[in-house]
Amino acid sequence: MGNVTIPVGQAVQQSAEAEAESLKALFDGHRLLAINLVSSPGSGKTTLIEALIGALSGRKRIAVIEGDIETDIDAARIRKHGVQVRQITTRSSCHIPPFMLREALAHIDLSVVDLLFVENVGNLVCPAEIPLGEDVRVVALSVTEGDEKPLKYPLIFRTSSLLAVTKIDLLPYVRFDVGNVETAARAINPGIGIFRLSAQTGEGISAFADRLAALHDRKASL
Amino acid sequence: MHELGIAEELLRAILPQAERHGAKRITRVSLRIGVLRAVVADNLSFLFEHVARGTIAEGALLAIEEEPVVVACPACGARSGAQMVVLECPACGAEGIGLSGGDNLQIVDFDIDD
Ligand SMILES: [Zn+2]
Repeated sequence: MGNVTIPVGQAVQQSAEAEAESLKALFDGHRLLAINLVSSPGSGKTTLIEALIGALSGRKRIAVIEGDIETDIDAARIRKHGVQVRQITTRSSCHIPPFMLREALAHIDLSVVDLLFVENVGNLVCPAEIPLGEDVRVVALSVTEGDEKPLKYPLIFRTSSLLAVTKIDLLPYVRFDVGNVETAARAINPGIGIFRLSAQTGEGISAFADRLAALHDRKASL
Repeated sequence: MHELGIAEELLRAILPQAERHGAKRITRVSLRIGVLRAVVADNLSFLFEHVARGTIAEGALLAIEEEPVVVACPACGARSGAQMVVLECPACGAEGIGLSGGDNLQIVDFDIDD
């Protein structure tokens, strides 16, 4: 009987990381590129996915998992584009947990998918903490939000490999300094790739689609 | 309130290890939490107390050590710790600094009565 200190030295969220590893094995087995798309609510994630489906049409086979707390409106929008789509309604959860993604994927024929978009729940905190085994994490930030977001939510910018600055057609009408966002994002994550996009005018969409297609090409050729 | 999920994961991580060591009680858990994690220590302690109720970790104290962001300045060579993201060197005010660390969420160790 006594007091003993047990050394640990492991991440708190180790079980989440193990689940993410098993999802990654599933994606790798199908040689598909999994893209975890994260943002605040209303940053235009669904619109961005719709634009990318258009830009990649005939080149890459796409499937979409739509995460939302309550509704399936976004999934209905995506379905009109004729791609495989599955809705996850997370209810109380502010992010997509790995087990829910796995359940949703059981309804998708992954053998005919090149690019899998997972539209996460609109939130910049929790999805940053929960990896889904994705190849690419994209954080979307619209110019109608504050340009101080990278400073307020640094973890999501640290853990994302691409930053999509969306709705840039609205720049003349808002107080949003893209340069500030880029400087802060690069200070937090020097390797982050930054794209300025407008689904409205199409600006930047084909360059962004090309980047994702190239990432898939590279993965498929390994 | 993302601290609830963290409290649950923490409990799930330490209970099996404590049982392997024949613990009757877990009395203290030491954590290292990066400032970029935006974890409110009081919230985490409160929620851990709640989720640990009825387990051998009931009443365990959380000892939380903050891990700062490391600021490296190419202009003056200083390495400083910061409690949040900064864009200028705290030592000389230069821009173009490099930031690293501050993103860990680690269990360092825990104390048991066996
Ligand atoms: Zn300096």
